[in-house]
Amino acid sequence: MDNHPEGCGGGAKRPLWPLILLVVAFASSALFAQYQKKPPDFGGIYSFPTPTHPEPRGIVLLSLDVAMLAVGLGLGAYFVLKRRSRNATLLLSIAAIAYFGFYRKGCTCPIGSIQNVTLSLVDPHYLISPGVIAFFLLPLIAALLFGRVFCGGVCPLGTVQDLVLLRPMNVPRKLDRVLRWIPFVYLAVVIFFAGWGLPTVTSSGKEIVLRRFLICEWDPFIGIFRLSGPFHMLAIGAGFLMVGMFYGRPYCRWLCPYGGLLSILSRVAWKNVTVTPDKETYCGMCADACPYGAIHDYNADRATCVSCARCYECCPREIVRLRREGIPAKRYVSVPGGRGPA
Amino acid sequence: MSETNTRRKFIDTTCRIIGFAALGGVGAVLTTRASAHAVFQVDPLKCTSCDLCRTSCVLSLSAVKAVNEFSKCGYCMLCPAYMDVTSAPNEKGVPSGKVCPQDALKRRVVGKEDLDDPNNNYYEYSVDEPKCTGCGKCIKACKPPFGNGSLRLEIRYDRCVTCNECSILIACPEEAIVRVPAPGLSPLLTQGETANG
Amino acid sequence: MEMQARRYTPVATLAGRGTAAEFKKSLSGVAVGAAGVIHALGDGEVRVFAANGGVTRAWKAPEQAACLTVAPDGRVLVGVPGRVEIYGAAGNRVGGFSVGESGKQADVTAVKMFRDTILVADASARLVRRYDANGVERGLIGNQHKTGSFMLPNRSLDIDVDSAGVVYATDTGRHQVTSWKLDGAPVAAFGRFGQAKPEDFVGCCNPVNLAVAPDGCLVTGEKAAARVKVFGPDRALLAVIGPEHFDSMCTHIHLAVDSSGRIVAADPVRRTMTIFGRS
Repeated sequence: MDNHPEGCGGGAKRPLWPLILLVVAFASSALFAQYQKKPPDFGGIYSFPTPTHPEPRGIVLLSLDVAMLAVGLGLGAYFVLKRRSRNATLLLSIAAIAYFGFYRKGCTCPIGSIQNVTLSLVDPHYLISPGVIAFFLLPLIAALLFGRVFCGGVCPLGTVQDLVLLRPMNVPRKLDRVLRWIPFVYLAVVIFFAGWGLPTVTSSGKEIVLRRFLICEWDPFIGIFRLSGPFHMLAIGAGFLMVGMFYGRPYCRWLCPYGGLLSILSRVAWKNVTVTPDKETYCGMCADACPYGAIHDYNADRATCVSCARCYECCPREIVRLRREGIPAKRYVSVPGGRGPA
Repeated sequence: MSETNTRRKFIDTTCRIIGFAALGGVGAVLTTRASAHAVFQVDPLKCTSCDLCRTSCVLSLSAVKAVNEFSKCGYCMLCPAYMDVTSAPNEKGVPSGKVCPQDALKRRVVGKEDLDDPNNNYYEYSVDEPKCTGCGKCIKACKPPFGNGSLRLEIRYDRCVTCNECSILIACPEEAIVRVPAPGLSPLLTQGETANG
Repeated sequence: MEMQARRYTPVATLAGRGTAAEFKKSLSGVAVGAAGVIHALGDGEVRVFAANGGVTRAWKAPEQAACLTVAPDGRVLVGVPGRVEIYGAAGNRVGGFSVGESGKQADVTAVKMFRDTILVADASARLVRRYDANGVERGLIGNQHKTGSFMLPNRSLDIDVDSAGVVYATDTGRHQVTSWKLDGAPVAAFGRFGQAKPEDFVGCCNPVNLAVAPDGCLVTGEKAAARVKVFGPDRALLAVIGPEHFDSMCTHIHLAVDSSGRIVAADPVRRTMTIFGRS
């Protein structure tokens, strides 16, 4: 289905043309006013009300969303890479889920923005909000700079899974390697459906090419934020949460298409979570602490690391450093069922 | 080895620069295209009041509401959208049944009220939005030739969460939900304005 | 099914689809002149039809012309928002006058003549205005209602005048046809809202059009179950010309009756005119 509004002409250039469309609309409404039959005159004591039209979310609030995202990404990078504090990152992610998850009901999200971007690149007439462009680019830029700080500190979907994580268990590495291809397959499917779609027959019998936003239709956790949803979405969400109690962030690692993009960019990030080889004691506590299997052979796998700062929190050297600086550090409790380096 | 390290650093830096350039390029292309905040609205000329607006919205109480364009309303006493004109008449001869299942269409007398002969009164009809479910029964009843067609379904922006993909848009059999630049296409035509003499 | 006292069947169709006289955009009025010559208003012009359905004359009418009538002397009067334009039988404009109070554009939905008096239906003021031959307003008809005007939820008023000078007007909000003397004194009112009986008027605002027959019968047009009813001089229902002859989307059926009692009904949706005769 063509998702473009009526009446838009050839190559749209700057956002000036919606204003022109509105002016034309009002002008033609004045013309149509001439043709309309006059409403009854009740003798001057009655003035015709005009139907109210509540305004959609204004530009100020839309800019606020983008600003909050940028601040969240910056704080995420700061808390993970500079302060190396799990608590701060956790608090940031809770604040982020409160704002982006429950207040904004999970919409707009960078994961879904892949679809808007695809559709806009395929169809030059598709209206894409500048806010959505920012939502698409900012976490990717942050990934190039600081790694997947979006995942660890901001993304509400990731935070939901983090909050239900009880007993992180290990996934065999070979299986993990295979599963990690799924996000890219999903990404390809999502791009196809968002940009091109498949022909279908509508309930009135018309044959159209229907573009679908699969990410939005199959978002497992949106039901939590909207507090309602169709049965199949709630069931899939519950399934992910149950898996997520034992295997950290299953959606993020093995399905999220945006996570796939972030993982590619995170590999070449400027600053990232690192296990510095010349300082560590080969105790393996960081690998134990990482629920996502991102530390192998005393190296942080940048593609998988979601910048949650759990490894920093448990590192004995880190605790020593904090004590030396006079900052009280909670003694890290070993993860039950812990295992050696994955 | 330091040589491997420098080479890796070089590859990393190059890839990073390519990454930034790609993102910058995509951003530039997108910004120069149809860049505008968009919302969804119902095209009243295509809408057939099929009740799918009530059931397809992701919200449990649909963001689609009936709206009365007062300047086109006939202010009829025997409003076919308000009362079910086929229902049994009461003692004054006025049909007693209501069209709206939620009783969301309200009316009040305009001007001096004639209590003896309701046929002498004009009524102002308005929609009680917290009750309206967007089912469209009143819209169907108001369409010409039965009425003036002043009632229409409209997506109300104080309720609509502006999903990326409007589920009503997918469900609508007439493709009557359109995506328009904000502040939203205020419908200019209602079905009342046709070429009828 | 009640037995109708009369039966009407279509005897001819004018300006049908595919004919040379076809109306392509609109058909907003019909009137019958002397000798049964049918005049129609549509597509921005007035067309005069011959008995065989061909157009003998046509001239351009003003934009937004909504109604027309043929004067006893053959002149054609066309109602336009805020004005009535008068044309000679050949189509040359011979005069006109403005209707309504200055500053308020009157919505002229019907115009009729009785001898020298011109009657103009002003739907925005919801009254009938009476003008003399020079276009000077002489009085109002319809303001002696309880509400001081007609109730017109569908914003359209149709009138006709019989040979005795009694003016008939559609009071659509009250579901009545009201009759008045030329000086505005009320004479009678008949009709009521109802869904069950065939003589009642259905829906929110009906009847939308009317015409007076030379034998005193009254012909009414309704919408939403578009049909034409014929009432006798005692206002008993004589015949119903059913919805099968008209488009279901009609909000008007423009009516005229010729001197032999045949009914000319113009369907503005299909843009054709059907002549019904008694069988």
